[in-house]
Amino acid sequence: MTARVRRLAGVLGVTALAGWFLLPLVPLLLWGVADRWSAPAVLPQEWGLSGWADATAQGAGPAFARSSALGAVVAVLATPLGALAGRALASGHLPGRAVIGAVLLSPLVVPPFVVAMGFDVLLLRLGLPAEAGVVLLLTVAALPYTTYVMRTAYGAYDTGFDDEARTLGASPRQVLRRVQVPLLAPSLAAAAFLAFLVGWSDYVVTLLVGGGRLVTVPLLVASAASAVGNEAQVAALSLLTVLPPVVLLASIAVIGRRARQVLP
Amino acid sequence: MNGHLRLERLSLRYASQQDPALDGVDLEVPAGSSVAILGPSGSGKSTLLRLAAGLEQPTAGSVVLDGIDLAGTAAEHRGMAMVFQRPLLFPHLDVLDNVAFADRIRGVPRRVARRRAAEFLDLVQLPGFGRRSARSLSGGQEQRVALARALAAEPRVLLLDEPFSALDSGLREEMYELVDELRLRLSPTVLLVTHDHREADALGDTVAVLDGGRLLQTGPMRRLYTRPASLAVSRLLGGRNEITGEMRAGWHHSALGAVRVAAPTADGPGVLVVRQEAVRLTASDDAGADARGTVVRVRRRGPRALVTVEICGPGAGSPALLTAEPGPGQVLSVGRAVGLRLPADELAVVTAEPASAARAADAVGSAEDGQR
Repeated sequence: MTARVRRLAGVLGVTALAGWFLLPLVPLLLWGVADRWSAPAVLPQEWGLSGWADATAQGAGPAFARSSALGAVVAVLATPLGALAGRALASGHLPGRAVIGAVLLSPLVVPPFVVAMGFDVLLLRLGLPAEAGVVLLLTVAALPYTTYVMRTAYGAYDTGFDDEARTLGASPRQVLRRVQVPLLAPSLAAAAFLAFLVGWSDYVVTLLVGGGRLVTVPLLVASAASAVGNEAQVAALSLLTVLPPVVLLASIAVIGRRARQVLP
Repeated sequence: MNGHLRLERLSLRYASQQDPALDGVDLEVPAGSSVAILGPSGSGKSTLLRLAAGLEQPTAGSVVLDGIDLAGTAAEHRGMAMVFQRPLLFPHLDVLDNVAFADRIRGVPRRVARRRAAEFLDLVQLPGFGRRSARSLSGGQEQRVALARALAAEPRVLLLDEPFSALDSGLREEMYELVDELRLRLSPTVLLVTHDHREADALGDTVAVLDGGRLLQTGPMRRLYTRPASLAVSRLLGGRNEITGEMRAGWHHSALGAVRVAAPTADGPGVLVVRQEAVRLTASDDAGADARGTVVRVRRRGPRALVTVEICGPGAGSPALLTAEPGPGQVLSVGRAVGLRLPADELAVVTAEPASAARAADAVGSAEDGQR
């Protein structure tokens, strides 16, 4: 009896939580296929894809490509750096581990706005291209996430696997490629996903350091949302924003499940 | 696949610790032989294997393989495959690819490596297990695969770090038989460490007793059982009987009375040690008994029992306690009067402890010199 009640409560909890996350998406999805939807009506009065057409006209396609590239570059840079930092922090041989850990996590507490403002000045003096500046700054912003994920992963990693591989004839490089990376793949994927999100969803740094020349999807959404009467276009752009993370999350889940099939 | 391994004055001292983890260990592992290092936890035995494998660097001394000093040779080029207590099968590879790992690292084509791996799986009696996930195996099977993987690397020395301690006793027996068989077919050079003297006896031709980072005694297990060089060795081997007394002209005098000791032993104070398995309990009126006493305690240990006998010697001194381990046929109860026979050639007299390890080691040296 109590087991059944407990299971029921669990199901209710999960459903409520899923509803909490999914409900806001319902009007978004409806707006995405609505041409006209005035206030009291429960459903749109006119269906259509004018929002998508408007978004495309505003340059949603190239912006999508730019955002994807930005997220990917940040992930490619921040994941190996985070793995190195995480391994060092988890190894226990690092002097001043607590201080280094705190420094690496500091981008979480310093508002990106402050960093962006200061960095902008520095960039102008150095003559670095704005795109490089955005990538650099977002990589730093992504490091706390990748470092944290990889520190946890390395903390749970059994270095006996490395020793075993070494005595079987594997060089340190081969150990990394054939043992460590495959065993840490789920964590690496999770770290890369978080880093991608930092690049993908950034607004402040892209706007300030990019100087408005680097137009990404969040910038388009913001400019569209600040005007009145184009909810359909905002909905289309917003759905565009949600899509890549959902696809990535699903593929990470697949990687994780594949890893769990062999791991205990 | 067998090399001759020699450890010379091998020492390791961690900066943070006062006592060295290993202190001047000399050990010879002839090609094709199996040497077991027996020691309690913390004795430095795993460290010794890690030094041999090149996973750690010694502070002094050297590891010599077939006459070549391996200092500066990286672990992956030493040709020493290790099997740990945990099987450490790579979870992202199936059983076959685990065994094929060393070949694949060397650049052997996948198909060839897998065919060879299958042969090694046959060798450890796991034919047809190749396509299974490494995590679907039982503990014993995992350790067999780990063994096959190490053998497939064709090491010049096979290092075993307590490989069977995590298995239950039945499986352990099977693994001992498997290792015997593998040794007959491949005659690898084996260096293994264990805390279990029975395992050391089952797997090693020669046993080296390690405690506190020093080798206390090296030799065949039979000899270690009957002639331990020190109380420490006797205790590590599970010896229960220690009777203090004095040696005079080949006889040991103690609360037991006078007992003849066959091994040549210097006169003076000494502790008589005798394996509980060697003590024979007879009838109380046995004319040939070396001592007589009363059973004061009986502890069941499966088919055998540990029987403690209290012996009041000829003098008025405090009584001595001796433990015997009779077989299942002999039923004894507390209070029973018994005679004891102590075979002269299974007795040894060692110096009273505590004695630092250094003195114990010296004692080993002089005792062996005396033998020659």
